[in-house]
Amino acid sequence: MNTAAAARERAAKGPFEAAKRRRFAWLSSRLGRRETLLFYAFISPWIIGFVVFTAIPMISSAYLSLTDWDSFQTPNFVGLANYVKIFSQDPLFWPALGHTLYFAAISVPLSLLIALFLANLLAKPFRGAKFFRTVIYIPALVPLVAAAMIFRWLLAPRSGPINGFLALFGVEGPAWLLDANWIIPAVILLALWQVGAGTILLIAALQGVPPEMYEAAELDGASRTRQFWNISVPLVTPILFFNLITGMISGFQVFSQVYVLTNGTSGPDNASLMLVPYVYDNAFRYYDMGYASALAWVLFAIVMVFTAIVIRSSNAWVFYETEVRS
Amino acid sequence: MSRPASARKRTGEKTHGALRYAILTVVSAILMAPFVFIVSISLSSDQTTKQLSFSFWPSEFHFDNFARAFTSDLPMGRFLLNSVVIVFFSCIFMTLSSAVVAYGFARLRAPGKNILFIVLLSTMMIPGEVLLIPQFIIFRNFGWIDTLLPIIVPNLFANAYNVFLMRQFISRIPKELDEAAQLDGLGQFGIFARMAMPLMKPILVAVAIFTFTFNWGYFFGPLIYINSTEKMPLALGIQLLSATSSGAQTPPWNLVMVGAMILIIPMVAVYHFGQKYLYEAGLVSGSAGLK
Repeated sequence: MNTAAAARERAAKGPFEAAKRRRFAWLSSRLGRRETLLFYAFISPWIIGFVVFTAIPMISSAYLSLTDWDSFQTPNFVGLANYVKIFSQDPLFWPALGHTLYFAAISVPLSLLIALFLANLLAKPFRGAKFFRTVIYIPALVPLVAAAMIFRWLLAPRSGPINGFLALFGVEGPAWLLDANWIIPAVILLALWQVGAGTILLIAALQGVPPEMYEAAELDGASRTRQFWNISVPLVTPILFFNLITGMISGFQVFSQVYVLTNGTSGPDNASLMLVPYVYDNAFRYYDMGYASALAWVLFAIVMVFTAIVIRSSNAWVFYETEVRS
Repeated sequence: MSRPASARKRTGEKTHGALRYAILTVVSAILMAPFVFIVSISLSSDQTTKQLSFSFWPSEFHFDNFARAFTSDLPMGRFLLNSVVIVFFSCIFMTLSSAVVAYGFARLRAPGKNILFIVLLSTMMIPGEVLLIPQFIIFRNFGWIDTLLPIIVPNLFANAYNVFLMRQFISRIPKELDEAAQLDGLGQFGIFARMAMPLMKPILVAVAIFTFTFNWGYFFGPLIYINSTEKMPLALGIQLLSATSSGAQTPPWNLVMVGAMILIIPMVAVYHFGQKYLYEAGLVSGSAGLK
């Protein structure tokens, strides 16, 4: 039995070893050495960039987060003091985290649902489909700074068109950007305006669903709604999953739109303070580089945890066709 | 007696179609409304702007605002020029550097290649905020604060996402073409420059489009690195103009909105004219709507 196992092992290793030998022979040949050199020459731009702009900054950022550096004097090592302060003494960290979660938890799923609904209306060919697809996509092309500038005026409490529209129905609109309770919903509205980016991805995904599936379901007497939930939705879950991950990551990194909407402040009673603006404030307003670095790592950890949760959950709801085929 | 199933289905189809048009029309109207308002503000008179009494539908038509944004003492032309300089060099640098690196990963053999490729892919997960402060220090040590260099120069060093896309594209080019080129006496660099690059045109344009869309409205980088007004790109510049209000003076919102429109129009134009290449590069999903 032992010899059999050994033989199996040798058999498994055999082709591997041979490949290794071939590789070694190739490497020591003149041509191989030349190609190796050439490879490193070709990828050198990335290597240099990786070392200078990623690897070194990452290490130094980890170190800085353990110091009290103010960007001018020599940094003093303070151990985990910055992290302790973030979680137990900073009066603004928890609100900033709360607002960020509030924004992400509403805007990401809501965007996905609206995108899915619109994509379902737009996926099949009909007269005017191109026109409507274009119209829905164009807002997503508007740079955030420009979008936020328009929204500042759309949301103006007295003269803005949104409250003007609400007044037609006798509803008195809120003061939006001036009201601590309405400033995050205002940022969410802006995100929903740009729902076209996700919609376009979902249209492409829905068009990839084999038509035979719908035909078969129709023969079985499945209603349109049934077909949508039992065929379309499961088959586009990989794209929903992708949109959820990217939407969540960018949801945690909101900066430009809030900065422009509130003119660089954090809104009434810090009501629109979010995590990335808080990192920015600490680093470039208060020059508290050590503390800002610690905040950035905490943000990184939070995003990683949420991403991991979504990826874990994907086994339960993301459907890959290959699973059925194999 | 109930109607035959086919007739019932046809009426169902019809009401469904009408409902679809109704919903899409309402949604489109809502999504287009902000554009009506921005046009209205940008065509308003200075008087209206001072009183901040903009109307939703354009009621005044001061088309001269578009000229005045550039001829008045506002540095709008300067902002635009800075944006063009940033975008021009960023696109060229990013496209070329990513192509060279991607070709290396796709076509050349060397020890350590697979590990390096995994390292490259994993850099996509590192969030910018973590690198932000040390990068700022590096550029400050270079003496590059208040110049366009911190925004342009990193594009010389490729980008993981673009390298990945290009590598996939190059892998689809038949290897026989390389061999034929080799027989014609081209070296590896010749094969890259004279054979691969022309074939890579769709993906080169696609990466240039991505680089353009990222940099044209880029706000965070310029906010951190640039202090003086005459070096600001458009996105940062119009934010500055809209924020400089003192008690006596309101921001020139009508001209600021002209700036915002200049920020929007090239984005739409680039997607409109570039999507053909996105299609050819196999990146349809990002642009399926604009045909």
